[in-house]
Amino acid sequence: MERRDARLGARLATLEVTNMSTIQPLPETIPAPTVVLRPERGRKGIFGGRPMWLIWPSIFLLVVIIGIPLLIAIYISFLNLDQYTLRSWISAPWVGLANYVTALTSGSVVGASAVASLGVSLAFSLLTTLFITPIGILAALTVNTRYRGRTLVRSLYLVPYVIPTFVTALVWRQMFLNGTGLVDRFLAAIHVANINTYWLLGPNSFWAMVIADVWASWAFIYIMVLAGLQSISHEVYEAADVDGANSWQKLTRVVLPQLRHILGLALLLSTLYHFNNFTLPFVMFGTPPPIQADVLPLNIYVSSFQLFNFGLGGAMSVITLILMLIPGFLYLRALRLGEVTAS
Amino acid sequence: MKVNIRRTGPWLSLLMLLSLVLAACGGGSSSSQGQTLHVLIGYNSTYPTQQKQWMQQIASEFQKANGATIAWDTYSSSNEEQTKLQTSIVSGSGPDVFSFGTTFVPTAQATKGFTTLTDQDWKAVGGKDRFFQQQLTMSGSSPNQLIAVPWVMRPFAMAYNKDLFQKAGITAPPTTWTQFVQDAQKMTDPSAGVYGAEIDPSDTFDPWKIWWMFAEQMGGSFISQDLKTAQMNTPEAVQAVKFWFDWATTYKIVNPNAMAWKTGDALKAFANGKVGMQIMTTTTVTPTLQKSAVAGKYAFAPMPTVPYGMQQRPANGVPAATIVSGDMLAVADYSNVKDLAFKFINLVTEYQHQIQWTKTFGDLPANVQAANNLASTDPQTAAFIQAEQGATPTPFTGTWGPLEVALAGVSSKLANEVATNRYDPSHIKPLLDQANQQIQGQLH
Repeated sequence: MERRDARLGARLATLEVTNMSTIQPLPETIPAPTVVLRPERGRKGIFGGRPMWLIWPSIFLLVVIIGIPLLIAIYISFLNLDQYTLRSWISAPWVGLANYVTALTSGSVVGASAVASLGVSLAFSLLTTLFITPIGILAALTVNTRYRGRTLVRSLYLVPYVIPTFVTALVWRQMFLNGTGLVDRFLAAIHVANINTYWLLGPNSFWAMVIADVWASWAFIYIMVLAGLQSISHEVYEAADVDGANSWQKLTRVVLPQLRHILGLALLLSTLYHFNNFTLPFVMFGTPPPIQADVLPLNIYVSSFQLFNFGLGGAMSVITLILMLIPGFLYLRALRLGEVTAS
Repeated sequence: MKVNIRRTGPWLSLLMLLSLVLAACGGGSSSSQGQTLHVLIGYNSTYPTQQKQWMQQIASEFQKANGATIAWDTYSSSNEEQTKLQTSIVSGSGPDVFSFGTTFVPTAQATKGFTTLTDQDWKAVGGKDRFFQQQLTMSGSSPNQLIAVPWVMRPFAMAYNKDLFQKAGITAPPTTWTQFVQDAQKMTDPSAGVYGAEIDPSDTFDPWKIWWMFAEQMGGSFISQDLKTAQMNTPEAVQAVKFWFDWATTYKIVNPNAMAWKTGDALKAFANGKVGMQIMTTTTVTPTLQKSAVAGKYAFAPMPTVPYGMQQRPANGVPAATIVSGDMLAVADYSNVKDLAFKFINLVTEYQHQIQWTKTFGDLPANVQAANNLASTDPQTAAFIQAEQGATPTPFTGTWGPLEVALAGVSSKLANEVATNRYDPSHIKPLLDQANQQIQGQLH
């Protein structure tokens, strides 16, 4: 029996490698071909005669929509920009790195300090992603094979995802109200918690935010995984069946390895999205929020638009941007997208 | 002639994009030049249909009189109001006329984005005499630096449940905070879910209004007379905050589960007949209450003006029962149609329209003649107008807006502590110190 399992394992491993190569643009084991550029002979030499000017509008728009605002945000982060200097913001007093120092060292009477907010945001985005991943994968698996009513189930799965975040947050706020909300009533009915347990204040507010966001966003992982599942060839499952693989073995040895890259992308996008989620905590808690739920985007909003400290808000935004670039950069490096594209 | 598309292509595409961007940017100004007045006012969620009708009527009359049209824009929250104001000031384009609350006028003036009204401008809007003098105290930093024209008044008062008063044997609303606590204790019956008062420490605005009132009555002030020093951590301020949270932690006169409440939650509890007295409310809650369980069983009264534990106010105490409250109209400095803007303000502050506004929406008129007319026929309105005339203005500093938010932060943190049984009155002072330091840094 053990020998049969070992044989099966070896064959599935082979199968995995074979099929991974079908969905990857280029197997990682094959070195990327070296691109040899010919000696430059004008533009034609570099671009191979392709009409590269067609990308100019895109570059122009990127500069206008992303580049200039980004530069302005960085510039603002070095200014003492408040209600008194707002109108002539370009000539607001230059304060160097003072806003960055304040962001990283000082507390705030409104909500949490920037560093504490960073911790809340990281925990919130990572935990939410951690929770929604198995839910999304399981949901995708339940609608991957054909059966009567599958379309209806697929549509129902999308409901939480298509409801506007504003509405989701309002509904969950009502459900989490202490004493009268459904959550407390339910927990009290099953004798798990007191009916007056606070969910919108104190440490529970963090978990209330996570629960609401998990409910609203698991369908994202579901959609991504389902797309990945649909790209797996039927023959692979049949081959696994022939080899006598059970459902668990098919999931762990065939399906998940093939989903590795799309799942990686989904996890990255999900983490970034949750880190930047502003609407949910803003509507659920209002301002100022409890410190345990004072995510960085909310902190930046309060600092900039309510306390009129735009310089500090700018510094916190730049810090956020740098932090967000790290996982994105690592992911691109891991996928070696640059090399593949160049090849 | 042969055209080299590879050379001209980039320039063509750049030209097309530039013209698109310029066309988009120029949209606003060209319509303003075409005699359209852009007006930004608060959205009335209680009377949305009536507000729409009012807008149509005003627009129609305005067009008939001036041949120009009005483009309305609304904001649904103070957050949205602030964001629209900030983006308009920075970009130099947006609404011509802004409506905002009285306490936001100092912050708006600090941005230097609004027209300082000349004598001629005042004449165009009906003259200063048209408006209550008390309202004009919040129109600008000094008599010759006024930027906002009073539109409507909204004095704060206390709503009380007459049935609960009668049941508890209370014959008249309290005039001191000691009586207030005693009356509230008489009405409190936790087994029935009834409490003599309410508390909403998670609200963004109620905490500072209530603490400001307590502190002023005790002789304190959040900002010094010369507007240069923050005084949010004085003994009076600390006592003001402590007294409010004592309602929950010591006197037990409010729902102990109200720490996450905002003003809407408090109103809901009052409307359900579960609250004896709701402080810091306005007549705008009337439509909600008239459709509730307490319809016909409630009344309004001024809030007490004698601090807790005292028989009378200290010598330097101020009988602050309400801030100078209401909405004002200001004209953006970048506006190309200022003459139209003043004509609009003149129209909506005229006698007839002010009367109509009050009858429809419940706010009191800022127009003296209209207010006196209403007061002569309705004693309740007369009481509110009297309250507004005795209103105490908040310090006129551009930092007042951030100060409100800082105090909301203090309230939120203390509510957090009460909710998680970590509350200690000794935590109030350090939090107020922190708020004070933050605001002091912004005072100019």
